[in-house]
Amino acid sequence: MSRDAYITLITSLPYAGELFAVSQTPISRIQLEARLSFLTPEDATRLQAIEGLLWWSSHSHETSDAEIVMETKRLLAELKNEWLRQLIRQRMEFRTLVAALRRRRRGEPAPDLHTDWGFGRWVGVIHRNWSEPGFSLERAFPWVLEANRLLREEDHLGLERLLLGEQWRTLDQQGEGHYFDFEAVVAYVLKWGIMDRWSSYHGEGAVRRFENVLDDSVGEYAQMFV
Amino acid sequence: MNEFVMALGWVGIYGPMALGAIGSVIGCSLAGQAAIGAMIETESGHGRYVGISAMPSSQVIYGIVVMFTLNRTVTPEAAAGMFGIGLLCGLALMFSAIYQGRSCAAAINAAKAKPEIFGLSLAPAAIVEGFAVFAFVFALVLSADLPGVK
Repeated sequence: MSRDAYITLITSLPYAGELFAVSQTPISRIQLEARLSFLTPEDATRLQAIEGLLWWSSHSHETSDAEIVMETKRLLAELKNEWLRQLIRQRMEFRTLVAALRRRRRGEPAPDLHTDWGFGRWVGVIHRNWSEPGFSLERAFPWVLEANRLLREEDHLGLERLLLGEQWRTLDQQGEGHYFDFEAVVAYVLKWGIMDRWSSYHGEGAVRRFENVLDDSVGEYAQMFV
Repeated sequence: MNEFVMALGWVGIYGPMALGAIGSVIGCSLAGQAAIGAMIETESGHGRYVGISAMPSSQVIYGIVVMFTLNRTVTPEAAAGMFGIGLLCGLALMFSAIYQGRSCAAAINAAKAKPEIFGLSLAPAAIVEGFAVFAFVFALVLSADLPGVK
């Protein structure tokens, strides 16, 4: 697909806007898929592979860290576009750091360096500085101390807001200079995923869903406690 | 040798029109693709998107005017000058049309998201147009000094 062929696709996508200012995605997934049909089969496959790797929801709970690391390496070897490779590397390093914070919060020791528990340049640094609040990575990831604090205080929504905001900001930075090309499409789709995730957090809805699940689980035994 | 120089003269005559047309074709196509994309997304304002996408067509008109201005009996004395003015003016028109098309595509994309910046978003395309006008006007001025004006 020539570079200019992305113009129609990009202009057919609604403005992404500001992440925390939206209550829903600017376009539904069905509509987004319809617009993405402008992509060539090769580009659609590449996009699917990137999205599949970078979104947790696409992994089953049985997928191990080692399998995800292997999948990352496979995709990086497959992709020729340096921008896309850099995007994947950065996102996987980001996830590795968040995973380390969560592991430590659960009281786990530093992961064995010989296992593929994380990806990227910082795995060794994290291992060596396991007891440091920000793994001595405050310069590379200025948000890490704040994330550590939110995790410690169990402010899950605040943490999610921080992490999604950071991912959004990184995509904004990486997307600079890419307006009508495949990179712009990838950045938009990944931003859509972030918006979808944020807009799906709905307090009242969660309570309602919890009650429904509870009712379904208790079922006929509910009368026993009346 | 004279034949070759004379041939260059003919290139100079037709060059501005042909290169301007190539630029306009590409520029209008780029902006037109953006207009089509914006039409899928928006419910109104389609006419102005199509209008913007026609902006890069002015370069071919400038090219036609320069072509007629340079159109004269090709002589060995005038041919080199005709070639220089015609080819360089044509290249300037071609590139300005292509990049104006890109500017228009960006303007359409921006105006679709924020209709209130519609006018301002066209400023880059208008500036590019200004450079095309420079190339056009000074091609006319210089062609008046070439020998063999009809």
